[in-house]
Amino acid sequence: MLQREVTIGNKLGLHARAASKLVNCATSFAADVWLRRGEREINGKSIMGVLTLAAGKGTVLGIRTQGEDEQQALQELIQLFEDRFGEDE
Amino acid sequence: MTLALTGHAVARGIAIGQAHLAERNELEIGEYRIQAGDVDKEVRRFHAAMSAARNQLQQLSLRLSQNAGTTASEIIQVHIQMLADSSIREASERRIREDHFNAEWALQLQLEKILAEFRHMDDEYIRSRGEDVVQVVRLVQSKLSEGDGEKEFSNIPDRLADTLVIASELTPGELAALHERGVAGVITEHGSPYSHAAILASSLGIPAVFGVRMAQSLLREGETLVLDGRLGVVYANPDPAFLDHYHEIQRITSGFRKSLEGARKLPAHSLDGEVILLQANAEREDELALAAGLEADGIGLYRTEFLYLRGEAPDEETQLAEYTRAIKVLGGKLLTIRTMDLGADKTSAALDFSLLRSSMNPALGLRAVRLCLRDTELFKTQLRAILRASSCGLVQCLIPMLTSVGEIMMVKHLLQEARQELVQQGLAFDPAMKLGGMIEVPAAALAMEDLGAHLDFMSVGTNDLLQYALAADRVDEQVAHLYDPLHPGVVRLLQYIFNAGSTLRIPVTVCGEMAGDRRYTRLLLALGLRCFSMHPDRLLEVKLVVRETHIPRAAAALAQWLNLGSQRQDVPLLRLLDQSQA
Repeated sequence: MLQREVTIGNKLGLHARAASKLVNCATSFAADVWLRRGEREINGKSIMGVLTLAAGKGTVLGIRTQGEDEQQALQELIQLFEDRFGEDE
Repeated sequence: MTLALTGHAVARGIAIGQAHLAERNELEIGEYRIQAGDVDKEVRRFHAAMSAARNQLQQLSLRLSQNAGTTASEIIQVHIQMLADSSIREASERRIREDHFNAEWALQLQLEKILAEFRHMDDEYIRSRGEDVVQVVRLVQSKLSEGDGEKEFSNIPDRLADTLVIASELTPGELAALHERGVAGVITEHGSPYSHAAILASSLGIPAVFGVRMAQSLLREGETLVLDGRLGVVYANPDPAFLDHYHEIQRITSGFRKSLEGARKLPAHSLDGEVILLQANAEREDELALAAGLEADGIGLYRTEFLYLRGEAPDEETQLAEYTRAIKVLGGKLLTIRTMDLGADKTSAALDFSLLRSSMNPALGLRAVRLCLRDTELFKTQLRAILRASSCGLVQCLIPMLTSVGEIMMVKHLLQEARQELVQQGLAFDPAMKLGGMIEVPAAALAMEDLGAHLDFMSVGTNDLLQYALAADRVDEQVAHLYDPLHPGVVRLLQYIFNAGSTLRIPVTVCGEMAGDRRYTRLLLALGLRCFSMHPDRLLEVKLVVRETHIPRAAAALAQWLNLGSQRQDVPLLRLLDQSQA
């Protein structure tokens, strides 16, 4: 199992389209993906779960991946946050 | 008598036409139990409806991506993912199998459960995502009830030109269907300004007002409506003078669009004959092509961060390939390549995190050229790639975030090393490639003579310069009101920069957002700026203002404002500048 913390950098936070990109990325891996905000942990492959994190800019999220391709899954998810979901700001 | 109804302004624009009330087929959600032997059959019926709904959304997403751009199709992707979410798909199936509910009711129960969760959210934007879940579930339920949910509305004609549709609410899919039939504008009774239908209306350019209470009862079929999407107001049965007024506004707006198009071939000369350079900020190929198509005076800012955000640090050949591709798209126009501006809020896996994570105050920490001078191998790779690109076209190099002369010396030393290596390796470069620096640090701005003596040109990054000068982060809602480009201190700082540039005979550009905001064009001209670099979308708007500005008159008005002393705050600067032109 692998874990990392990320900070949400895009202006709008994990809004619906960003959440959608995250779920797309997570579901492309066999590994389980979990996102944690504070006490709450949700399945990173569920759009409803990701939306209910209501994570705005500057929120720190924990990402946890577990499974065969956990390494690559974690890397690509982090990349998504670093690219700010492809948004300008 | 004219009736005015107000709602949420969700998509700008003015629509004038006849009202059409959309009648929705009300869905009746039955509740019954399935015989134990029929459960498999019910689950199959459920899955068939789910696939039908999914197919409809996928086709819509495809059509939108071809005709309306990515934002529109991404919105539909969210719906497709909601449909596939285990809280809808698997949980509903479980309710059919375990509780023997019919599929419609199983979905309804899940919907209510999910909505209860959304309702508890503090964030209004997230709360309004509940609307999306309702729309997705309704779509499946409509597929279940009739086997064919194509007709969500029962009475929509095929052609909707000059028609304003009034609905109780709209899904993004319904809105897209109305758009395809040429609807002039839309009005809904429900739906928040944060709804996806609202975002879609705006991205499709359909004037829209949402949340107009009782619109379906108050407005009558066939009557004339005027919809002002900017104000969020609908006027019914307008009197002739009022209607003329809105036709006039519509004409001016479309006239403005035409004059923008007409400005493409016109030179950017001010009324007093000054030649103004209008350059573009661009990095993606479509932006570069747009800039070239709009006859920009080259690229004043080509950002390179994207190369580093892909993961591994890009090697010299990868960078060279990107740069030469940009040169080709520009067809001989100037390309100003800015070395990477990472750090602060932009980080990359390609960088050494131990360097970045240590700072408590990243905007004042190790970023841009400061970071480059720490990781000189990474930096020299980029300098070599830029030097080599300079042999393929007109290229200049721009260094972000300079603070001191010492930094320029270090950059020049590395450039010299890179040149010597290239000579030894027999690789081509332009020995006369120009080197520029970005002025973002207020102290550097006030030391223009010191820095300028070692540079060929300067570019003012107003976004960061203003943030540092005003000590306010414009993205932070709590202090964004302090981020004021018209603050007398900011105006004086900019004036100092442009004056120093002209005394030193060193070209100065502005490449921050101020340069592309036509509200500030006249002010920047009055302050002495002669070269603007902006997003290519803004080029023609700014050009129009340049062509309508007499610079000495604007400069006189500015001088008058600066001399007002304590009365200054009562005199709006931008209005004074506009009045000076009359």
